[in-house]
Amino acid sequence: MKTNLTLLLSAPFLLAAAGTAQAQDYPTKNIQIIVPYSAGGGGDTVARIVADRLGEELGQQINVVNREGAGGEIGIDEIARSDADGYTLGVFGYPDNFVLEHTRDTSFTFDSLDYLAAFDDMPMGIFASPNSQHNTLEELVSYGQEHPGEMIIGESGALGLLHALAFAERSDMQITPIRYSGGGELMNALLGNHIDLASTSSMSHDPIVDSNGKPIGFAAEERMEMFPDVPTFKEQGLDLVMGVSRVLVAPAGLPDDVREALVAALDKISTNEEMITNFENSAIPYRYLDDSAVNEMLEKSNSVLMPVIESNLDQINGN
Amino acid sequence: MDIFSILLNLFTPSVFLVVFAGVLVGIVVGAIPGLNGAIGISLLLPLTFTMEPQIGLLLLGGIYMGGMYGGSITAILINVPGDVVAAPVAMEGYPLTQQGRAKEALYYSIFSSMFGGFIGVLVLILFTPPLARFALQFGPAEMFFVSLSGLIIVGALSGSILKAALAVLLGLFISTVGVDMITGSERFTFDSLGLRSGISVVPVVLGLFCFAEMFLNIGKKPSEQVQYRDQKISRMTVIKDILSQRFLVWKSGLIGTVVGLLPGVGTTLAVFMSYGDAKRASRRDIPFEQGNPDGIIAAESANNATVGSSMVPLLALGVPGSPTSAIIAGALVIHGIVLGPSLFVNRPDVAFTFLYGMLLTVVAMTIIGAIGIKYFSYILKIKMEYIVPTVLVFALFGAYSLRNSLFDVFIAIILGIAGAIFKKMHVPLAPIIIGVVLGPLIETNLARAMRIAGARNMPLWEYLLATPLSKGLVALVVIMLLVVIRMRHKEKIAAKEVKNA
Repeated sequence: MKTNLTLLLSAPFLLAAAGTAQAQDYPTKNIQIIVPYSAGGGGDTVARIVADRLGEELGQQINVVNREGAGGEIGIDEIARSDADGYTLGVFGYPDNFVLEHTRDTSFTFDSLDYLAAFDDMPMGIFASPNSQHNTLEELVSYGQEHPGEMIIGESGALGLLHALAFAERSDMQITPIRYSGGGELMNALLGNHIDLASTSSMSHDPIVDSNGKPIGFAAEERMEMFPDVPTFKEQGLDLVMGVSRVLVAPAGLPDDVREALVAALDKISTNEEMITNFENSAIPYRYLDDSAVNEMLEKSNSVLMPVIESNLDQINGN
Repeated sequence: MDIFSILLNLFTPSVFLVVFAGVLVGIVVGAIPGLNGAIGISLLLPLTFTMEPQIGLLLLGGIYMGGMYGGSITAILINVPGDVVAAPVAMEGYPLTQQGRAKEALYYSIFSSMFGGFIGVLVLILFTPPLARFALQFGPAEMFFVSLSGLIIVGALSGSILKAALAVLLGLFISTVGVDMITGSERFTFDSLGLRSGISVVPVVLGLFCFAEMFLNIGKKPSEQVQYRDQKISRMTVIKDILSQRFLVWKSGLIGTVVGLLPGVGTTLAVFMSYGDAKRASRRDIPFEQGNPDGIIAAESANNATVGSSMVPLLALGVPGSPTSAIIAGALVIHGIVLGPSLFVNRPDVAFTFLYGMLLTVVAMTIIGAIGIKYFSYILKIKMEYIVPTVLVFALFGAYSLRNSLFDVFIAIILGIAGAIFKKMHVPLAPIIIGVVLGPLIETNLARAMRIAGARNMPLWEYLLATPLSKGLVALVVIMLLVVIRMRHKEKIAAKEVKNA
């Protein structure tokens, strides 16, 4: 009985393996989306929501593969090195790749990837632990200035680190950043009072606040519709705007027909109400950018970020 | 939400159908080397999108529960654990099979799984909020000591302590390969992309346990193969025997529950911990690793207990504690269910139906297991010359499927050859796995502790011992060390007496 069952169960794999590479009508086999973070965080959630809908649209199963490590470098590196055949895609939070490229000796560059769409626009924020004595930016900064190096900020990626450093620089504090492998692990450390602050995106707002963590502010131009009670840094006198945008990418050099098929499918699902509801339920502010809009946004953002990276380079490398 | 309406939600044909289907799929993928519950869940995940959330969740919960049990079937019958958590079961179960007591070993396994599963789920139902707060207390210092205590368990396994120490060092070494998590520096990568990504646990387990065993079977004469024997043993005898081992099954279930709360290590650590403890406490005159049922009882009740408790941080805080529960979290998100403390307020129907439904998955697992055992043991009627290629194909597939990487397949084969040599040299394999699993945890948590201590201007040891919990864990580490030394000493004396006699 057992042998029959195993055979039955393995049938789909064998079929999937049989339909190999010849890309007459892309896609002819399962697609994988590499996420360079551990499961359960924001980038992972976006990937899973999109994979579900896009897979249905393309008529193939899309598997989300978590390849966390080294602040996203391992996974992004792997996306960039994959075959540009449309069967390996990636979802990650821009500007992780840009920051990594300019702070480490990465083998990928900005142009190693082909940016097909963006799905959200989420500001970074600073949250204090439940036991923290600091409820506002002002209290926190005055304490931090008097105690250089003592404020411990957890982060789970290149952008989280950059945001923490820019936050410290602009408020004249010295901080100690600590790396975690994913958003879930970072949240655990903050809620358990093992670190003082977390530098993470607005998506972590609900679980942190539900367990009595405190939002200090968001690095956004204006207050978010989702969280009208949380002030921006700007209105508290700190000029810091930094956010993450989850992009769907492919290794550069996709065949034209594959690229067209992907872009068309993405455009088509972008208005799917069920998918948009899933984004909202996960506290991810949905904002779709198609392939030309996303490239325009990225170019503009790169030129804003570059000076911030350069002025913090020694600190990032010291990490 | 009152218990009556929960029961009303539960006792529907569709719930029973998905629970049984989920458990069955879980047992099958769990039994296949290289596949585990997490893979089964990601395969069936798309199916759940069209279901009601609580039904879809119970399907996934059933796979998780069944997968934890399934790994022990192949472990007992052909000495190939379907998953790392079934490794200790193989150490006790396969010797029983060789003695013609396969059916008995399988009964021990399923009924211990049942007790463990119930303990874990009951704890999940009754104590989720306080336990979630308890799990949060584990910071870098606490995680460091817990992981360290895992290494000490290695000393409790049988065989040469020197060989075991070398094996655990090899495991720790394997775990350092790749890009360092904290600093991003490369170690032992030799400019290879595969090595940069590190060596993950799955190909190591497949290599050492699955490939190695199959390689050693090649060339064996049919007369050397374990013969199928229809053993007469009643289920009640086994259940009574499990319950008569003082607190063994309860204690192991609780170890599984508590350790299972910890993110990342939970299950593997829990299984080896309760196995080590059973070895210390066993009252039977049968040496371990020669077919002592206590080892099976301890390991199996611990691993199924982790199913419930690893979901505690997920449901109460929205923080997933194991890869499998992370995938379940993803499924919930797609259903528009927000995890965390608000879950029980906003969607009590989903939360409570799922919680109580998990009890049903234990029932389903027990029924399928208890009835299926007769058929499972028919595997022994199959000639080794058919089993070896079949298992190897599945193992190759399992190694590849983890991250669609041929590199992992090579790792598995290389470690398979190494594992076969180690077995011939009587180097124990379990410590290698323990080293691979715990190495990164010990290292990253120590690195974080050093950094936090530096920021707080205190010496490292002061930070490491700052909380009552970490002091307690240090005490645990010391006690475990003493117990292991005493065990070793006793064994030596016993061995001498045997010699003199």
